[in-house]
Amino acid sequence: MQKDISISVNKIDNYEKISGCAKYVNDVQIEGALYAKTFRSPIISGEIVSITVPKLPDGYFAVDYRDVPGKNGVKIIKDDMPIFAEKILRYFGEPILLIVGPQKSVVQSLINKIILETKLIEPIYDESNIAINYHYEKGNPQNAFSSANRIFEYTYQTGYQEQAYIEPQGMIGYSEGDKITLIGSIQCPYYVKNAVLLALGCSSEQVRIIQPAVGGAFGGKEEFPSLMGCQLAVAINKIHKPIRLIYEREEDIEVTTKRHPAIIRMKAAVDSDNSLVAISSDIRLDGGAYLGLSNVVLSRAMIATTGAYTIPNVDCSGIVYLTNTVPNGAFRGFGAPQIFYAVEMFLNHIAKDLGIDPLDFKMKHLAKQGDLTSTSGTFRDPILMNDLIKRALEISDYRRKSQKYKLENQLRGMGISLFFHGCGFTGSGEATIIKAQVKLHKDEQDNVDILIAAVDMGQGVRTTMSKIVAHTLGIPMDKVRFPYPDTDFVPDSGPTVASRTTMIVGGLVAKAAQKMHDRWQNGVADTVIEQYVQPDYIVWDEATFHGDAYPAYSWGVNIVDVSVDKVTNQVTLEEAWSVYDLGKAIDDLVIKGQAEGGITQGFAYGYLENMEVKNGKVRQKNMTDYIIPTALDTTKITTELIDNPHAGGPYGAKGAGELTLIGGAPAVAMAIENAIFRRVHNIPVTPESIMELIEYGNR
Amino acid sequence: MVKHIIPDTLSEALKYLYQGDFQVFAGGTDLMVQNRSWSETSIEFTKNMLYCFNLQELKGITAIDGRIEIGAMTPLETIMNHPDVPSLLSEAIGEMASPAIRHIATLAGNIGNASPAGDSLPVLILYDAWVELRNMAGFRMILLKDLIIGPRKTVMHPEEMIVKIVIPKHRFDFERFVKVGGRKADAISKVSFAGAVDIEDGKIADLRLTFGAVGKTVVRNETVEGAWIGMTISELKNGIWRLIDMYDPLILPIDDQRSNKHYRKTVAINLLRDFVDQL
Ligand SMILES: Cc1cc2nc3c(=O)[nH]c(=O)nc-3n(C[C@H](O)[C@H](O)[C@H](O)COP(=O)(O)OP(=O)(O)OC[C@H]3O[C@@H](n4cnc5c(N)ncnc54)[C@H](O)[C@@H]3O)c2cc1C
Repeated sequence: MQKDISISVNKIDNYEKISGCAKYVNDVQIEGALYAKTFRSPIISGEIVSITVPKLPDGYFAVDYRDVPGKNGVKIIKDDMPIFAEKILRYFGEPILLIVGPQKSVVQSLINKIILETKLIEPIYDESNIAINYHYEKGNPQNAFSSANRIFEYTYQTGYQEQAYIEPQGMIGYSEGDKITLIGSIQCPYYVKNAVLLALGCSSEQVRIIQPAVGGAFGGKEEFPSLMGCQLAVAINKIHKPIRLIYEREEDIEVTTKRHPAIIRMKAAVDSDNSLVAISSDIRLDGGAYLGLSNVVLSRAMIATTGAYTIPNVDCSGIVYLTNTVPNGAFRGFGAPQIFYAVEMFLNHIAKDLGIDPLDFKMKHLAKQGDLTSTSGTFRDPILMNDLIKRALEISDYRRKSQKYKLENQLRGMGISLFFHGCGFTGSGEATIIKAQVKLHKDEQDNVDILIAAVDMGQGVRTTMSKIVAHTLGIPMDKVRFPYPDTDFVPDSGPTVASRTTMIVGGLVAKAAQKMHDRWQNGVADTVIEQYVQPDYIVWDEATFHGDAYPAYSWGVNIVDVSVDKVTNQVTLEEAWSVYDLGKAIDDLVIKGQAEGGITQGFAYGYLENMEVKNGKVRQKNMTDYIIPTALDTTKITTELIDNPHAGGPYGAKGAGELTLIGGAPAVAMAIENAIFRRVHNIPVTPESIMELIEYGNR
Repeated sequence: MVKHIIPDTLSEALKYLYQGDFQVFAGGTDLMVQNRSWSETSIEFTKNMLYCFNLQELKGITAIDGRIEIGAMTPLETIMNHPDVPSLLSEAIGEMASPAIRHIATLAGNIGNASPAGDSLPVLILYDAWVELRNMAGFRMILLKDLIIGPRKTVMHPEEMIVKIVIPKHRFDFERFVKVGGRKADAISKVSFAGAVDIEDGKIADLRLTFGAVGKTVVRNETVEGAWIGMTISELKNGIWRLIDMYDPLILPIDDQRSNKHYRKTVAINLLRDFVDQL
């Protein structure tokens, strides 16, 4: 009998991380490397009239859009963001050129001496510049609304969130002949490679991307590094010397992508037996200055517009509008944290208006196996939400505590959230866009190398993948190696995003390992390549949002107990409980790490992390002013899992990385709402906003 | 080019200061941040720097004749853990920054920095702390509340430095410090409050109230405090609205990236009321 794969092993990067010997990009030393620094737009919106670069000393260079041999556009989806601004400046801090040279102090003083003449253009911060407009329906929402017993309508707002990875963005690169190699703190080696190919207009063998140890990403290193990669590649292509481009913290916070602020209007039709018969939602995302991945973020939000519930009639619209602010982008959850916050609060508010228990109301509408999803696909796998909720209520004593706090009226409250996350790319993205490939190679000593482009940014992918292979092959962990991804050696297994890595890439790795196992010969080298094949039941129409948006769903319940200080209105998390169905844990401790980190980041999104952009500029631009939780701000967190193996994932595993963040904000916002007896509509629920709610809010 | 000097003795340090264009560097936890530059390049000091962290004469804490003297280069951590240091001060230091910062930062630095949000200031001013300033010619003692006159502004002369902080020894019957930051540790204050009361024969013998981060400097008003001397605690409690009215025009916070006026003001008043409630 093989032992249960979930039983935890020592994370394979523990030693290098704890001892400090892990090499991050800034630790990579290359003889003679020059320093690059970005000269950025000092204005929020305008046009460049002239740029005067001071006379450059020998060995110093300026690199701008004229040096881009290929397309001056960063390949993301629409390539609308220039690598270097040409004429129009669309946000404060937009990159205009690089100054490159051997001494940082000289580079800095040259930057300081650049004279930029501009013509200001009135900046836009409102919704007047709509870039994306989506809409879909399920059932017949018009009928449902016109015959509804009651209609409810509320608006919810969510703020920015900064990824605050511990290692700022950075990249270093060099050239050999006509080949350029970049080493970067990235999540998606092939995204960077493909972007550089477009920028240089060169052939695939001429670009190589290597990933060193990465100090956190949370989505912040999904598309943004493509911009840096293009800039650096263009500079290396011009100068033919190794160059490093590493951001400082403030630069990083001011100019890199963040979570989209959202305004979500929700409307529901309820019939006479208090059933939700229709939901209509309008989701408005501020994309910032360029589209980037915003339309995909919007799609994910729209698809989850009915939350963890089955609602027969749906009318969902969404827009992305562009403003003269820092571009927003990928962040753990990718649209889901915004919409689940809104849906959870909305159902809670409807129930309160109806005078019924919010949890009972929600449970009555829970999605079940076989139900149609919001996009008229089918929930094929068993849904264990009732078991998850039952267990969460048990371990937290939720019902008794909620009742007690309500009667005591001591600014104490319980909050609960129910949610899911669709695993993998939306719709047929895996088959049509990503086309993942993985490779296993065994040498004559029977050591097995995992050759994939998946990035371990701390979440434990190197450990879990190695475990899958060792387990399937029945060999010890130390016979399995997971070298850092290098596009010259690993196939494109896709980006490390969308909670796809364990389920999709890990699934392919497990299949490859099984193949290798079945033809195993001691001492004989072997290579297995495995390609993603989409299950034929997945049918998705992107234009109409119709069909199965995801191959599988992970589910969760979060409960939190909070107290609000009556003197200062500060919030204390007293205790938290979670129960998840993520298929099967490949490693219990790795999941615990994801669960505790995710919920902490999710709670903080709901009540602590506050970022405002005022007149086009980020106001909280360093770690002093952008408050993220410390160990003292966290609380005791109990996490339990209920296994529900998914046939498409390795050992039944589904996605876990994003799921654990999504329920945090609605749970904590609801707990605060219950503690202060005031309706919460906007997050973060800071002490300042709690004060306002207590003074003027509705009960 | 700015000069960097590391003197070994106080008299050497004072000689440099006499030139008038040196700035004292203690733990550097404010200076390094304020003058930050691109990593791996030298820090962008605009003044000549006098690194005083080796001055043994300025390290240590002594309790004499009813007062505590704290050497200007004594790290916060040492102060926090010292048995003779007033408990409110230890408490305030315990809420400042993080262990690593407290290990090198100093009280003199917190004073010299003169930030409206400096956490030791409301407590030191509540204790009527004095500061001993020295220059080549001699020394002068000045009440801390008279030393700091505005954000980053003190009446210290360029050739002077703080050598000691002197705190009259006193145990209050009731005292309290509250820091309200953006999170539970390692945060800059949005508001802070310190209060202390002595009661003799059922009457208020001493009342001191200070507020941090709600004005250009710490708010303390002896006239308001004095108005309650000789009254009973229940008279104070009954007069809470009058007390609040007295502080209302004195508490003048600002809006910034950490909080807003309304919150700061309301919390400051709440803290005052809560302090009186708890008596
Ligand atoms: C991460 C972090 C967190 C922080 N958190 C807090 C906090 O919670 N609360 C808080 O109040 N502060 C906080 N600070 C600010 C700082 O740590 C304190 O103000 C500290 O007390 C400064 O002491 P220092 O010795 O490091 O001062 P330095 O940086 O050396 O000096 C500060 C100023 O005082 C002057 N100075 C220093 N010593 C003397 C002297 N002997 N005579 C005359 N002038 C002198 C200097 O010239 C300079 O102007 C924090 C700082 C950091 C980096």
